[in-house]
Amino acid sequence: MISDYELIMRFVKGEQSCFEHLIHRHKNKVFAYISLYIRDQALAEDLFQDTFLKVIQSVKTGKYYDNGKFISWVMRIAHNLIIDHFRRVKQMNTISNDDYESDLFNSKKLSEDNVEDNLVKNQIHKDIRMLISKLPDDQREVVILRHYSDMSFKEIANITGVSINTALGRMRYALINIRKMMDEKKISLTVN
Amino acid sequence: MKPMGLNSTPFITYQDIIVDGIDLYEDAFGICPEFSNLFDMLRQVNIVPDKRLTCQLIEKIRKQG
Repeated sequence: MISDYELIMRFVKGEQSCFEHLIHRHKNKVFAYISLYIRDQALAEDLFQDTFLKVIQSVKTGKYYDNGKFISWVMRIAHNLIIDHFRRVKQMNTISNDDYESDLFNSKKLSEDNVEDNLVKNQIHKDIRMLISKLPDDQREVVILRHYSDMSFKEIANITGVSINTALGRMRYALINIRKMMDEKKISLTVN
Repeated sequence: MKPMGLNSTPFITYQDIIVDGIDLYEDAFGICPEFSNLFDMLRQVNIVPDKRLTCQLIEKIRKQG
């Protein structure tokens, strides 16, 4: 498999398709992170595109130095764009992130199952989304990065700017909180 | 008297331990066994960008040249 760095170098030299290859390789991780953090789907899509556009801009201006962690760097850009967004919203003081309701989860091949299964799965997805959204920001971020963006704790620590121990601690608290909420709300999340 | 080690578990080197796909920090912290049921739950959802969104992004990039 061609490395990320080689694809970037070839893109810089003019091979447009190499960046498209990078997008296909990493889009799920980036999108999962943004769309679980930003509940407004349209905004999440904008930020998803902005992230890759910013990556291109930085690569073209020579701001990317390879250390074998291209995806961590991309996630860091996504992280900063999200923070910028919330700063802007806070300054404007007009929009609450909770005002939006959208379907963030694209479930796996729902059409292949029967209606009842779909309903159960949809409910489970909604419950999981609700549980994640109720977590404090720092804990939510670690859960999303670990489980939906498949980042290691070393990478998570790098992206969020905390120590590995802190990231691990946040994950533990997040999971304890999820379990607690499930008990309180008597939620059972199993298919079948 | 038998020489030591013949009947005991053979030693393995660090290279023999397969750690591919394992986050050693997570493993050392003991999160996985404690919360495995929650991990299974979280894995039930798969979040992927719409094909339309990816195409739109690629189109934008092509236009930028």
